[in-house]
Amino acid sequence: MIEKMAKVEILGLKDIALDAIDVIHDLGTLHIEDLTERIGSMDTKRVTRMEMDPKFAEHEGTLNNLRAKVGDMIRELHPDVDVLSAEDIATEYKGIWSENVEVMISRIQSMLHDVERDTRDTVERKSDLMVELSRLEKYAPIMGKVQPLADRVAKMTDMASIALIIERKYKAILNYLNEEISKITEGECEIISSDVDDESTAALIVFNRRFLKQVHEFLAVQDVNQVRLPSDLSKKPIDEAVAEVRARISQIPSEIDEIDSKLVGVTDKYSVKLLAGRNAIHDRLEAMDAVPKFGQTDQVFIIAGWLPEPEVEPMDKALTGKFGNKVVMTVVDIREEHDSEETPVALHNSPFTRYFEILYLLSKYPRYGTVDPTIVFAFFFPILFGLMVGDIGYGIIILVAGWIVHRKYSNKPFVNMIGFVLTVGGAWTIFFGAIYLEFFGDWIYRWLGLLNADGELDKYLLGTKNSTFKYPVDRIEGFTFMLAVCLIIGWVHMGIGLIIGMVNGHREKNYKHVMEKGGLFLVLTGVLMIVAKFGLGWWPAWLAAVGALMAVGGIVLGALGAGMGGAIEAVVGAGNLFSYARLIAIGLASVIMANVANELAIEQAKSGWVGIIVGVIVFILLQTLNLVIGVFSPSIHSLRLHLVESFGKFFEPAKVRYEPFKKTGGEE
Amino acid sequence: MGPAVKIGMIALSAAIAIGLSALATGLAQSRIGAAMAGAIAERPELVGSAIILVAIPETMVILGFVVAFLITALKSAK
Repeated sequence: MIEKMAKVEILGLKDIALDAIDVIHDLGTLHIEDLTERIGSMDTKRVTRMEMDPKFAEHEGTLNNLRAKVGDMIRELHPDVDVLSAEDIATEYKGIWSENVEVMISRIQSMLHDVERDTRDTVERKSDLMVELSRLEKYAPIMGKVQPLADRVAKMTDMASIALIIERKYKAILNYLNEEISKITEGECEIISSDVDDESTAALIVFNRRFLKQVHEFLAVQDVNQVRLPSDLSKKPIDEAVAEVRARISQIPSEIDEIDSKLVGVTDKYSVKLLAGRNAIHDRLEAMDAVPKFGQTDQVFIIAGWLPEPEVEPMDKALTGKFGNKVVMTVVDIREEHDSEETPVALHNSPFTRYFEILYLLSKYPRYGTVDPTIVFAFFFPILFGLMVGDIGYGIIILVAGWIVHRKYSNKPFVNMIGFVLTVGGAWTIFFGAIYLEFFGDWIYRWLGLLNADGELDKYLLGTKNSTFKYPVDRIEGFTFMLAVCLIIGWVHMGIGLIIGMVNGHREKNYKHVMEKGGLFLVLTGVLMIVAKFGLGWWPAWLAAVGALMAVGGIVLGALGAGMGGAIEAVVGAGNLFSYARLIAIGLASVIMANVANELAIEQAKSGWVGIIVGVIVFILLQTLNLVIGVFSPSIHSLRLHLVESFGKFFEPAKVRYEPFKKTGGEE
Repeated sequence: MGPAVKIGMIALSAAIAIGLSALATGLAQSRIGAAMAGAIAERPELVGSAIILVAIPETMVILGFVVAFLITALKSAK
C-alpha cells in the first residue's frame, strides 16, 4: 500500500540553520521540496534561496578532490565489497564523520596519507617489474637465436657485432644493409639472420672493430631496431646474459605475486576506511547540495518537504528537543487534500509482498492517492507463471534454484527479489504440475500406463474421457476446457484491475471515470456469458441473452463515462480477455516440446547402451532448453498480462518517488 | 471430397492460421525490436519496457496457435 504522507514546513533562526540541517539529515526521513520555484514566483523579495557560506564553498571543492582521490584508491585496490561487513564500515564512518567539516576533511586526508604511504612503493615496484618482464620476454627468443652466432664472434677479438631485430615483412632490407655496411667496412662485414617468430627476424652484423663508430652512426640514421640489453647485461658475454634473462623471467612473477600479497594486506587494512570515507564525503556533499533548495529571510531559514505520517512526531521531537522554540515544524496539509501530482510516493508492503516491488523496475510507482497494485501482482504473477509452466519436475528445479539465488544474493536487492519471485513461481508450478500430472512432460502418464498406443491420454485417475471434470487435466486433450479456465482467470484478473480503477475514481470523486470502468466490466462479463453458451452445452440460452444485454449496457455506460472513446474502449477492452488464451497456448507449446524430448530419448534408448547414453543426452539437452524457454517466456507474458491487460485499466504513474534526505550511514 | 482430402484441408487451414500469424508477429517484432535496440542504446533504462513492447505482437501468433489447435481438433471430431 501507499504510505500516507504529510507536508511539513520547518522554520528556525538562521544562525542555527546548519545544525538543524544536520539533525534532519541524521533522521533521514524528510523528502526535501525544492523551494526555488516557489520563491521565484513570490512577489516579495524578503524570501530568498539559502546560500552557502563562502567558507563552505571552499570545503566543497576540497571534498570533491578527496572524493576523486578516494575513488582512485578504491579502484586501485579493488576491495571485494561483498565480503566487507556493513557494521565495520558504519563504525569507521562514525569515526570519520564530524559536524565540523574541517575536522572531517583532516581525518580523511590523514587516512589517504597512510594509504598512499603504504601503497606507493609497492605499486611503483610492481609496475617496474611488469615493464621489465615484458621487455625480457621480448629479448629472450631473440637472444636465443643470436647466441650461437655471437659465441663464434666473441672468439675473434678484432671483430665486433651488433644484433638487430627486424619485422619479417621488411627482411629484404638486410641485403641493402649488407651492401652499405660492406662499403663502410671495406668489405670486412657479414650479416647472419634467423627468423625468431612469425613476425620478426633477428640479425647479427659482424664487422671489423675498427669501423664500430661508423657502423653505429649508419644504423642510427637507418631507423632499425638494435637489440639493446639492460645496461647490467650488455657488458656480459651473451651466454651469461641469456641465462640471466631466463632466470629473471622465471623470478619476476614470484616477485609480483609477493607484491600482490602485500597489496592484499593493504587492501584488507584500508578497504573499510576508504569505503567509510567515500560514504562520509558523499553524505557531506549531499548536505551541501541541499542548501540551495531551502529558503531564507534576514532572520529565519525555511525548509519544506514531505514526511511519512508516522515520522512526523519523531521529527518534531528531535527538532524541539535540540533547539527548543528556535525551530518550529508545521504540518501544512495532511491526508487526502494533498495535490497528488506533487506528493512523493513511498510504498509500505508486507515482507512477502515487498519482494514483488520488483515490478517497479519496469514501471513508475502508482500515483499518490490511488491503490497500490503490488499485492495484485504478488498474488497473480506467480499463479499465471505456474499455470503456464505447470510441471512438477520443472517446478522443483525453479523453486530450488530460485531459493538458492534468493539466499545467496541477500545483499543484492534486485537478484534477491528475482530469486524470491522465482521461488514462489516454482511452488505454483509444482501445484499446477500436480493438477496436470506432468513431470518433465508425460513421464507420470507413461509410468501409470495412462497413454494408448498413439501416445494419447486414454485413462484417467478420476472420471472418464467424456466427463467434464476429470483427473489428470491433460492440457492437450483438455485444451478447450483449459481455454475456458484461462478466460475465466482473465475475467477475474482484468475485473480486479477495473474494480481498482473504480475505487480510484471514487477516491478522486471522478464518477465518470467510475462509469467508464464499470461499463468495461459489464462488457467483459457479458462477453464471457455469451462465450459460455458456445463452450458449455448446459449453459442456458437466457443467461447468454442476459450477457448480451449486459454487454450493450456496458457500452452505453462506457459512452456516458468517457464519450465515444469510452464506448470504443469498452469494446476493444473486451478483446483483451482473449489475450489470456496465451496462458494455455504457451503452456501447451511447452508440454508438447517436453513430450517430444521424451519420445526422442525413448526411441534412442531402444538401440542398446550407446542409444541409452544418446537418449539421456537428448533428454537433458531438450528438457534444459525447454526449461529455459519455460522460465523466460511465461515470465514475460505474465508480466505483460499485468502491465497491459490488467494494470492498463487503472494504473496512473507517480511523478515523484519518496527519496528522503539521509546519510548513507556507511552504505552507499 | 474424400476423408484424406478433408484431413489435408484441415491441416492446411491450421498451417495457414499459425503460419501467417507467425509471419505477421515476426514482421512486427523485427520493427519493434530494431527501434527498441536503438532506444536502449540511448537510454538503457528502457530495457524493461522494450521487453514488454517486443512481447506485444506475440498475441497474434499465440491466437494463431490457439486457432490452429482448435482446427486440428476438427480432425478428431469428424
